[in-house]
Amino acid sequence: MNNKEKQNDGVTIRDHVFDGIQEYDQKLPNWWLFTFYIAIVYFVIAWFVYYQSPAKIPNDSQRIDGQIAVIESKKQAELETMLASLSDDSLREMSKDATHLSSGKAIYEAKCAACHGLDLAANLNGIPLPGVPLNDTEWKYGHNPLQIMAIVTNGSPDLTKGMIPWKTQLSPSEIAQVVSYILSKQPS
Amino acid sequence: MSAIKKPNLVSLTSVNEDGSRYFLHPADVKGRFTLWRRLFGALLLAVYVLLPWIPVGGFPAVFLDIAERRFHFFGLTFLAEDLWIGFFLLTGLGFSLFYVTALFGRLWCGWACPYTVFLEHIYRRIERFIDGDATSRKKLDAAPWTGSKIVRRVIKHSLYVLVSLILAHIFISYFISIPRLYDYMQQSPAHNAKAFGVMLFLTGALYFSFSWFREQFCIILCPYGRIQSALTDDDTVIIGYDEKRGEPRGKKSDPDAGDCINCSRCVQVCPTGIDIRNGLQLECIGCSGCIDACDEVMDKIERPRGLIRYDSLNGFAGGKKRFFRPRIFLYTGFMALGATVLSLFLTTLHSAKVELIRMTGQPYYVDDSGVRNQYRLQLVTKRTEPTVFTLKLTGLPEGAVILGLDEKVTVQPGEESMKTLLVQVPKDKYKGEFKITVEASVSPGDFDLTDSIEFVGPSAYSLK
Repeated sequence: MNNKEKQNDGVTIRDHVFDGIQEYDQKLPNWWLFTFYIAIVYFVIAWFVYYQSPAKIPNDSQRIDGQIAVIESKKQAELETMLASLSDDSLREMSKDATHLSSGKAIYEAKCAACHGLDLAANLNGIPLPGVPLNDTEWKYGHNPLQIMAIVTNGSPDLTKGMIPWKTQLSPSEIAQVVSYILSKQPS
Repeated sequence: MSAIKKPNLVSLTSVNEDGSRYFLHPADVKGRFTLWRRLFGALLLAVYVLLPWIPVGGFPAVFLDIAERRFHFFGLTFLAEDLWIGFFLLTGLGFSLFYVTALFGRLWCGWACPYTVFLEHIYRRIERFIDGDATSRKKLDAAPWTGSKIVRRVIKHSLYVLVSLILAHIFISYFISIPRLYDYMQQSPAHNAKAFGVMLFLTGALYFSFSWFREQFCIILCPYGRIQSALTDDDTVIIGYDEKRGEPRGKKSDPDAGDCINCSRCVQVCPTGIDIRNGLQLECIGCSGCIDACDEVMDKIERPRGLIRYDSLNGFAGGKKRFFRPRIFLYTGFMALGATVLSLFLTTLHSAKVELIRMTGQPYYVDDSGVRNQYRLQLVTKRTEPTVFTLKLTGLPEGAVILGLDEKVTVQPGEESMKTLLVQVPKDKYKGEFKITVEASVSPGDFDLTDSIEFVGPSAYSLK
């Protein structure tokens, strides 16, 4: 059989040779070529829209940053309205409200009791727990309801030890409920 | 008219010299392989359609719940954190494909690939039903646009779109389940814009692929086809033409000619437009149509079947056939590795999770009363009913105090419990760091889970 002729089948072989490898001169399928043209058109449009147009469409990382900023500002706004509505008096008022107290108690037992003790005494059968007692009249960082609220939110001012900031785990209203629960347990 | 384009080895039959498309119209074929392929295709289609309808353990048999990030397979539930098993699953599937390909060539492409199954067993059947056999289809293609041609084209493409819509909806139901899909279908598309968009895109893609693109995907785009082509060797069982028996081609009456009477049936039935007599080619998807076509002709001219058959290149050359080759053992080993990891994983997979994590901050506290560690205890349930964890801490020395451990914790479905746990060991009982273990017996299901963590502290000497 004439192999050479059979293999050529009327298709031109281009002149250049690399390492004995030669190339047929064939056309790409048109649909394939078409995808290439679409890519060019897309590039021009995208380049214009994303980089040249006055609309300044943000890229993915800017979009994420923007959304995180929106979340942060929402949190901040919630905190500010919370704080604006809060005062020492309103927190004391909350500490007399049964619904606030029961949710405050639940949060306290889940998050705070491990260090401050279930009875707020920071003491378990004579073993002192890591936290400070909350059921006495001695306050390390101030006894005003708003001061307590600030400590719970931002953690101990002493960065080397002490309580962690709870604002990452609790919302401002939850912190207010915990604080009202603590207030309700104060010796008058 | 209808003179078939002669395939060769250097050009694609389906692409003309100027780059335009040459539409293939494979002729009808009957025979044992075609029959088995149809039955197998029907089985695969039934599996595809029915899986989301069959409930296993409260969920569809296969339900990839994107919204809840819970993935249900035949009663087993996986969370996103179980994703690492996907590595072994995918490589295991990959090596299974390697294995089958090394043994039997592109068996996957012709028999099991969804693309082929949809194309051959649904779309081509519709086309055959509306437009008739290969000869009439070619005629209709070349005919001018008359009223009846337009009607036929409209009917055919409407059916294509309808089938594409159905297939796309079934696909979506794997991710949102049948009841929710039914809800979505009764609401305005704007309510579920994302799901609706995915469905439209899929419908479009299916319609484009199977009404127009067809074999171009297998020949030019599909990476698995290329990988598979590279995986065969001279001992792989492929579909081929027995040159020794068939050549030289000639009339049946010619005593000098071989068994091939050059009837070109094998070329007419080929869905990728090759001539199998030119040998193994990259376009061949191993559909076995040419085998049945040739066998039918051989029966008619009373010559033995198998001029075109499943055999290895060595077999066609009349050489020794080898089944066991080094690569077979290698792929078996890799497959066994994947299967082992998967089965080990599945035997340890439970519908709940217990984890002991160290609390952030200071790792331990020491004072007169002893050494203290703080942990967080995480309980997760993957069940649809409230799950009760009965908890116990072990590995503690005598006199140790545990705070924050409830004996029984109930976790609501789809939720998790995160509790703070404190362990204190008296100074005189503290002999250095040790391991503590939480043991949980979980109900319903009645199985035990454990998790361990180190109790850390200073050197025991420093406390003396």
